[in-house]
Amino acid sequence: MSDFAQQIERLRPQLLRFARTQLRNDAWAEDAVSETVLAALERPLSFGGQSQLKTWLVGILKHKVVDQLRRHTREATIMVGEDGEDLDDALFLPDGHWREAPHDWGDPDAACNRRQFFEVLQTCCESLPPVQARVFMMREWLELDSDEICAELAITTSNLWVLLHRSRLRLRDCLQLRWFNAGRSAAEHA
Amino acid sequence: MKNTLTCREATRLLLEDEEHEIPVADRLALQVHVKICFACERFVSQLNFMRRATRAWRKHSETDDDDTPRD
Repeated sequence: MSDFAQQIERLRPQLLRFARTQLRNDAWAEDAVSETVLAALERPLSFGGQSQLKTWLVGILKHKVVDQLRRHTREATIMVGEDGEDLDDALFLPDGHWREAPHDWGDPDAACNRRQFFEVLQTCCESLPPVQARVFMMREWLELDSDEICAELAITTSNLWVLLHRSRLRLRDCLQLRWFNAGRSAAEHA
Repeated sequence: MKNTLTCREATRLLLEDEEHEIPVADRLALQVHVKICFACERFVSQLNFMRRATRAWRKHSETDDDDTPRD
C-alpha cells in the first residue's frame, strides 16, 4: 500500500463514525466511506499532515453522504411521527408553563475546547431517533439549507421544522443529563 | 399585537427561529416574554450555547488529527 493509501486507511474509522452518525445505517455509511476513499485514491495529493488530509476527506465524505441519502430517499424518510411521545407535553404543564424551568448552564463555553464534551455531544446525536438525527446532521454538519434537506428527503418544510424542533429539545435534555448534571462542565481534572 | 405568550408558545417560536425568520409580530411578542420570564431567558441561552457548541464540534471533527482511540 502506498503511503497515501495508508494515511487514508488510518482515518477510515473516524470517517466511518461520522458517516454512521449522519446516515444511521451501517451499510450506507460503509458505502459512503468506501466511495470517499476511492475518490481520494484517484487523485492523490500531498498534504502537510493528517489534519489537512482529514479536512479534505471530510469534504469529499459530505458529498458521498448526500449521495447516499439521495439514493435511499424512500427508506431514509420513515414517517415523521417516529417518536410518538409528545416532547412538549413532557416539558410543559397544560397551562403552558414549564414543568421544570431550564437549568442555568452557567458559562458553558469552556466546554467547547474539550474533547470529552464533543464525545458527549456525539453520543447525544447518536441517541436521537434516526430521522431526527439525520435531519439534524444534514442541517448542522453538512450545512444544507432547509430546501435542500426537504428535497433530499422528500418531506415538507413543516415536517422538517417539527423534526428539528424535536431534535434540539432532545439534545438539550441529553446535554443536561450527560454533561451538566454529571458535573463535567466544571474543571474536574484533579 | 399578541404579547401574552405562554412558555410553551415562546419555546416553539424560539426553536422555529433557529430554522427560519419568524414574523415580526411573533418576534416582538417573544422579546417581551423573554424579558419577563427567567425560565425562557435561560432556554434562549441554552439554544445559543448549543448553536456555538455544534459549530465548534463540526470544526473539531473536521480538522482534529488526534486519532488515538478513545472510549
